[in-house]
Amino acid sequence: MESPTQPPPEPAKSLFDRIYDLFSSLRLAIFLLIALAVASIIGTLLPQGKDLAFYGEHFPRLLSLIRVLDLGDMYHSWWFLALMGLFALNLVTCTIRRLPVTLRLYRRDSLALDPDRLARMSLRHSWVLHGNPGGERAAACFRERAGRTRTAEIGGGTLHLVEHGRWTYWALYGLHASILVIFLGALVGWIWGFHGDLLLMEGDTADSITNRRGGAPIPLGFQVRCDDFDVSFYETGAPKEYRSDLTVIDGGREVLHRSVVVNRPLTYKGITFYQANYQAAPEAAVRIEAADGATKTLVVPAYQTVTWPEKGISLRLIQYMPNVHGGAAVRLLWADRDGPLQGPWLIKGRPTPLTSGDKEFSLSLIDLRQRFMTGLSVKKDPGVWIVWLGCTGLILGFVVVFWVGHRRLWLWVGPRDGKTVAVLAGQTNKNKTAFEDDFHRIVKAMDRCLEATP
Amino acid sequence: MNLDSSFFLSLTTFVYLGAAVIYLFHWIFRVRQVGVVASLAALGGLLLQTAGIGLRWVESYQRGYGHAPLSNLYESLVFFAWVVILVYLVVERRTKNRVIGAFATPFAALAMAYASFSPQVEDAIQPLVPALKSNWLIAHVVTCFLGYAAFAVACGLGIMYLIRYFSDENPAGLVGTLPPLRTLDALMYQTLTFGFVWLSLGIITGAVWANEAWGSYWTWDPKETWSLITWFVYAVALHARFVRGWTGPRIAVLAIVGFAAVIFTYFGVNFLLSGLHSYGAQ
Repeated sequence: MESPTQPPPEPAKSLFDRIYDLFSSLRLAIFLLIALAVASIIGTLLPQGKDLAFYGEHFPRLLSLIRVLDLGDMYHSWWFLALMGLFALNLVTCTIRRLPVTLRLYRRDSLALDPDRLARMSLRHSWVLHGNPGGERAAACFRERAGRTRTAEIGGGTLHLVEHGRWTYWALYGLHASILVIFLGALVGWIWGFHGDLLLMEGDTADSITNRRGGAPIPLGFQVRCDDFDVSFYETGAPKEYRSDLTVIDGGREVLHRSVVVNRPLTYKGITFYQANYQAAPEAAVRIEAADGATKTLVVPAYQTVTWPEKGISLRLIQYMPNVHGGAAVRLLWADRDGPLQGPWLIKGRPTPLTSGDKEFSLSLIDLRQRFMTGLSVKKDPGVWIVWLGCTGLILGFVVVFWVGHRRLWLWVGPRDGKTVAVLAGQTNKNKTAFEDDFHRIVKAMDRCLEATP
Repeated sequence: MNLDSSFFLSLTTFVYLGAAVIYLFHWIFRVRQVGVVASLAALGGLLLQTAGIGLRWVESYQRGYGHAPLSNLYESLVFFAWVVILVYLVVERRTKNRVIGAFATPFAALAMAYASFSPQVEDAIQPLVPALKSNWLIAHVVTCFLGYAAFAVACGLGIMYLIRYFSDENPAGLVGTLPPLRTLDALMYQTLTFGFVWLSLGIITGAVWANEAWGSYWTWDPKETWSLITWFVYAVALHARFVRGWTGPRIAVLAIVGFAAVIFTYFGVNFLLSGLHSYGAQ
């Protein structure tokens, strides 16, 4: 049995086609832009980069949400990065989908044009030519004023064309590709770069820094020494300059001396050192006299343990006060082989007795001074030039997409109603006012040129 | 009387307030000569303000910590007002329509009045803190505020568009003197694209500068993030127009929403959110 004839059913769109449709839609682009904007707003309202205890204290009811969606580091959370990834994908598919339209616009032949259409364009002007060779003269006038022409025989006459900026249809692709180039640069920096910190005491040398992601040390492959740090202030009390004098030592040789201030970093072998902050650290000079008459002066910097090995004594600085009743004071952490840990206070100019086990000592604070530690931010980012390239492309793309258009001027010379006429017409897709002004100037120049003809 | 920069800038405030009132008067009573007076007032104010900004620049050098007058909230407001008047006068010259002045010059007058009279805004010349000592300061502030000023004018045009759009077909009286919808729409598009390119340049110069000062071109600092949100709003507006062919009232609404985002990026971030960009709040 034959089924009655039916029109063939509309072929169902495959899943791939439907996904492609979704990804190449402007609707998705606008949705993603709005989603990214809303997420970004949340990120500016909720303090970023704190630990869970902070959020537990300030936003107890949101804590589980903050934990699941990683809102404390939202801009690097899986779902925010996924939104960015979708945005990039959407950008690519949208432009691919537009490609045939652009190709048609780019390839269309501006000389394959019915002369009657010229007479219907909004920008047009025509002349009745007298005598022979009026047509050639008109074409010469057109070339002189408008530029190089291409010609075609059409509609019984000759069509002359001056065309500029056909390439500008591609600027749209350059513009959108530039955004992807910026993403690529960010990705390159994220994979092959690092960002770390270095706290360096005046006079000290470092060969590694602390990674901001995770806190592991990153070897530099060379050494950097801080020779001096200086902070200066205006009369108003506002900071004027933070300056670190750095020396780079590579392979045992001092290869570079530079002062690093904010906005003037130092770069060596692709690694850049930025002045970020500083800390003032105290350093105490302490004299110890043992009962047996042995004496030793130890210089105790902050954050370090200093020892007197012969006596098995080690000292740390745990507190300092620059001014107690007119003199400096420090509190030490005292450890030796015989007694328990002790925390004696020393005031400058007053020797302090200390008993440890069966031994007696006398401690004096000889000197207390400030030493500076410079805080450097250390960065390696091989992707940054790709980002700048993308930014340049973006701006150039805007300029072309907004203001540089495809301009076409036609002059058709041929017979109409028993006379020889010249019809001038023009079209552009951007900045029409400026083009109209140009068109009217060309008309005037053609008028003069044709009148001057014998 | 001391002929210093603060004298010139205070005077400018009153001249702009006067110009805004005269533009409004011109729109309401439609006397051509009044319009000429308004234009002269705006132009005169612009010259006074240019002198004031120049003098402030010189004075900062006389105090021994010279820098371009673009370093804090006061100076940025003054510069914003200067650019708004400049952009508006260009639009006026090109459109030969002074009614737009009644919707554009108030932005400049309000900015100057806020800068001059608000106790929150410190107007003394201050030395630059280390982070601001950079040649990128001028490029960054100038590009951003060219964008902001263009968006302010676009917002004024959007308001005019909606007023005209929601009144009668052939309105008489006040509304009838507004430029035709087609003209407003074209002007809105031009100011939006102009502002968008300058905002993009502002964000990029900021990124270049941040990379030089802090070692990161993008850190999702609230100011950066809000400038990106603003950029998204205008990007949506331009795509809606280019791809979907949106014109008229919907673009007018987006021009107003976009400017609200600009205002938040400019003030809201400084006063409500904390971050690296807190110089402006002083």
